[in-house]
Amino acid sequence: MAQALPVNGAAATFQLAANGEHSDSEDFKLKFCTVCASNNNRSMESHLRLAAANYPVISFGTGSLVRLPGPSISQPNVYHFNKTSYDSMYKELEAQDPRLYKANGILNMLDRNRNVKWGPERWQDWQVGMPRMGSKMSEKGGEGVEGGVVDVVITCEERCWDAVVDDLLNRGSPLNRPVHIINVDIKDNHEEALVGGRGILDLADSLNKAAAEERKADPAGFDSGGAASRSGFDERVPEIIGAWQERWPNLPAVWTLGWF
Amino acid sequence: MAAAPALTPAQQIKQLNDARKLVLGDPTFYPQIVQGVVPISGKGSRLEMRRWGADFLAETFAMPTIPPLEKESLSLFVLESIKDMLEDPTEDPGVIKSLVQTAASIYPLVFRWIINNAYDAPSWERMVAIKSRILRMWDTASPGVRICCIKFAQRVVLVQTAGPAADPKRGDPLEISLAMVPPSHPLIPARNLDAEAQALLDRMLSVFQENSSDAILVDATLNTLPVLIRARPQLANKILTVILNFNPLKLANSPMTPKLRVMVKSMEKTTRSLLINVNKRDPQNPLAQRIQQHIERLLRSRTDIFDESTRKRGPPEPIDGLDAAKRQKLGAQLPPPVRIHIPPLAPGPHTIGELFTISADDGLKAFDVAQLAPDLVAKIDVTILQRLDKELLSQAINGIRQRLESMAAVKPEQLNPATAPLSVEEDEDDYEPDFSVAEDTEQILNKLDAEPTGSEEPEAMAGVPDMALGTFVLPQPPPMSLNEIMQAGRASISRLFATMQSLDEPGKKSKSGFNRLAASSNDRDAWITVITRIATRSTYGLEDASVKKEEPDHATISDIVRETLYLYVLEDFRKRIDPAVSWLCEEWYNDQVSIRALGAEKTIQHYEKWALKVLDGIVPYLDAKDKVLTRFLSEIPSLNPEMLSRIKNLCRDPAMISLSITSLVYVIMFKEPAREIALDALEAIHESYEDAKPMAAKFLTKHRPGWDARLKGLDNGEAKVEGASAVATVT
Repeated sequence: MAQALPVNGAAATFQLAANGEHSDSEDFKLKFCTVCASNNNRSMESHLRLAAANYPVISFGTGSLVRLPGPSISQPNVYHFNKTSYDSMYKELEAQDPRLYKANGILNMLDRNRNVKWGPERWQDWQVGMPRMGSKMSEKGGEGVEGGVVDVVITCEERCWDAVVDDLLNRGSPLNRPVHIINVDIKDNHEEALVGGRGILDLADSLNKAAAEERKADPAGFDSGGAASRSGFDERVPEIIGAWQERWPNLPAVWTLGWF
Repeated sequence: MAAAPALTPAQQIKQLNDARKLVLGDPTFYPQIVQGVVPISGKGSRLEMRRWGADFLAETFAMPTIPPLEKESLSLFVLESIKDMLEDPTEDPGVIKSLVQTAASIYPLVFRWIINNAYDAPSWERMVAIKSRILRMWDTASPGVRICCIKFAQRVVLVQTAGPAADPKRGDPLEISLAMVPPSHPLIPARNLDAEAQALLDRMLSVFQENSSDAILVDATLNTLPVLIRARPQLANKILTVILNFNPLKLANSPMTPKLRVMVKSMEKTTRSLLINVNKRDPQNPLAQRIQQHIERLLRSRTDIFDESTRKRGPPEPIDGLDAAKRQKLGAQLPPPVRIHIPPLAPGPHTIGELFTISADDGLKAFDVAQLAPDLVAKIDVTILQRLDKELLSQAINGIRQRLESMAAVKPEQLNPATAPLSVEEDEDDYEPDFSVAEDTEQILNKLDAEPTGSEEPEAMAGVPDMALGTFVLPQPPPMSLNEIMQAGRASISRLFATMQSLDEPGKKSKSGFNRLAASSNDRDAWITVITRIATRSTYGLEDASVKKEEPDHATISDIVRETLYLYVLEDFRKRIDPAVSWLCEEWYNDQVSIRALGAEKTIQHYEKWALKVLDGIVPYLDAKDKVLTRFLSEIPSLNPEMLSRIKNLCRDPAMISLSITSLVYVIMFKEPAREIALDALEAIHESYEDAKPMAAKFLTKHRPGWDARLKGLDNGEAKVEGASAVATVT
């Protein structure tokens, strides 16, 4: 995005970004966050997919370390979250054994990832609400999550959902902001990640449609008797997930409403 | 904010977005921007502006980059605007949501400000107005707003209860608590606020007591509670107790729509996550054990409810194997389950589990059903049996039967001494392929072919080798003599009675009348019924009176039981008159049925024999006050002259005359069919026993009309009229 940040900091001197973009209220987008164990395969596949569909999206891993398949099952390649870029992983593995890592799809994956964002981030280290400015804004899907919060967290494995919910319980919900946490169970391989990514995009579209509908002006007001007649986004979520689950029976879902 | 009023809304929003990006990058501009935004996004401005402004405020007061003290002064600035907008009932729900979130964030800030600045009553009044407005809309607004109200209430509870002493200067909103309020604060009297907090907590928790179906409210509440449990230990017990009494799976009974499914699953999972979190953080908490049990219970119920129904997509466990069986039947004419599963022929040791395992799925096989609670297994079984196709079941049964048969058929082979090792150890792990001669390669290959997946557990193969014991045939016991057989029979009968001794004496008769089931209670009465029926009916139709018995001393089982019953009654006849009567009733009944079915000539009649025997057994022991005789005579089904003669003979003892005659008179009065023979007996008494004469005469005069006259005639030498001697029968 070619937006000029007012560098002089004077609040009164806003410049209109003349890029002719649609206005926010017309084209409302929920903000998403995808989570898997290592923030490499499943969360990144869906991160890219959601970003390509113009959703603001960020992604994390809940594992203690980034683990990628190594030469054998007992020798994974292990990296630290937040400290190693996809690019450096790519280069390292390519130097190690280009044939192996090409054959098992790891290089391909890392190449995709390094074009999405800098490196894997750990959920537990994420300071929710911390602005994601600067380089983060150039991430795919970075536009719209500058505020460092999201509306929906989608995990790709029940273990990760548990970790996310548990972590939020520990944080004590200081931001008072509701967040839908949905698990979409995806097996950790490239093929399933692709299928899962499609499922997640479908889910995101369904959720966003409901949220956009809620934002259509309601002259009746929130506290009138009519409030019940038109249900809002939040309470429609279980229904949306239920309908989605019928479409995607092989991606079992779990949902809760938590707090940032 | 000096935005030109001529800007279009879209332009204005764009500008605001840029302003936001500015402060996100550099939080020092927040005061400026907030002060610019509030006037143009307040009540009366365009919806887009109000939405943007509300979102911005929510974000701002949640923003970790702004120091708490700066937020505190900013919060005072926005109070008025928030209050005005919240009080507008036509306000957009999205705006309200953000404003309630903002209010939740600023409540502790304003509270701390008031603690330190008791003079600022106007600010506190605004805050109080906001609070009461939010608490009022809590019940009526849409769920999306209500969850934010819940969160606000949680914040108020946190602030308005005493927490650990914290430094008021540090200002972490999570640490602001009632403990910081100085006593005698003019605006915020601690006691009132604490009471309000308790009430709010109750209101929050009421969502569980109502067993709300609204998952979003339940989840939203659950996810706000841990901080209260943690930071306000005095509330923990109350909160956890409510949660432990909450059944998130309650709705699972109703028909599961996809939506309901998501909601029930969600409430269960969220409840469990919270409880796990609590126990993880404080494993020593007093409720830890209860919590753990509750977690496990939830998990079990969840598996019960969901796993079963999820498997509807994939077939449920037993159908899995059977399904394949069915398909196979279509393909080949082979007996289906046999090929489905492991070699039914493997002679090696098999567990019963293996024998009955039909599924080819390794995961299912590895599952140990014993892990489940028995009641759960029972529940699952019932459900499955209800749904199970009859055809499938019989196929499965046939499959198992064939397995058993082939196992039996293979066993003799194992007796081959060449292949049967001398010292056989049942060590399944010790598979030595070279050693195995019992099976030829052909067989093994067949077996491998028979395996559907090839992923069968290796033990199946390892167990095959000739390590099994040969068939052991128990030698025939030496034949028993008739006497021994009789003895054994008697022993089992005595056991029959031993059982009765161990049972309770019947308590109060719970029910009488026709509409009750014999032997339905587990007490002596019930057992007596069983025994009497064994005695009377077990040999029904086997006896034949027309065939002469060669060895009369070989009693039938019934007679042995009767004998024992007889002794049982006599042991304590005063108390056991009830069993005696019911026994004799059964005898009589059986006689009648038998006469009707087989004819009188073929029926051995037992009733009279045993009734007489019982009577004979009793009579010598009677004393003058034993009403039991009267009762016995009146309750047994029929009387005959022989029985009554026993009564007559009682009168030999002058002390017994009264009892004898009273009993007869009772029969005369109340047992019509036996009236005549009883009168005859009475007359006989009159004739035979001098001492009994006056009493007998009195009743004869009363009950036998014309007796006086006849007596006189008898005196005149007339012959006595013989009384009827037929058996009178009560029908």
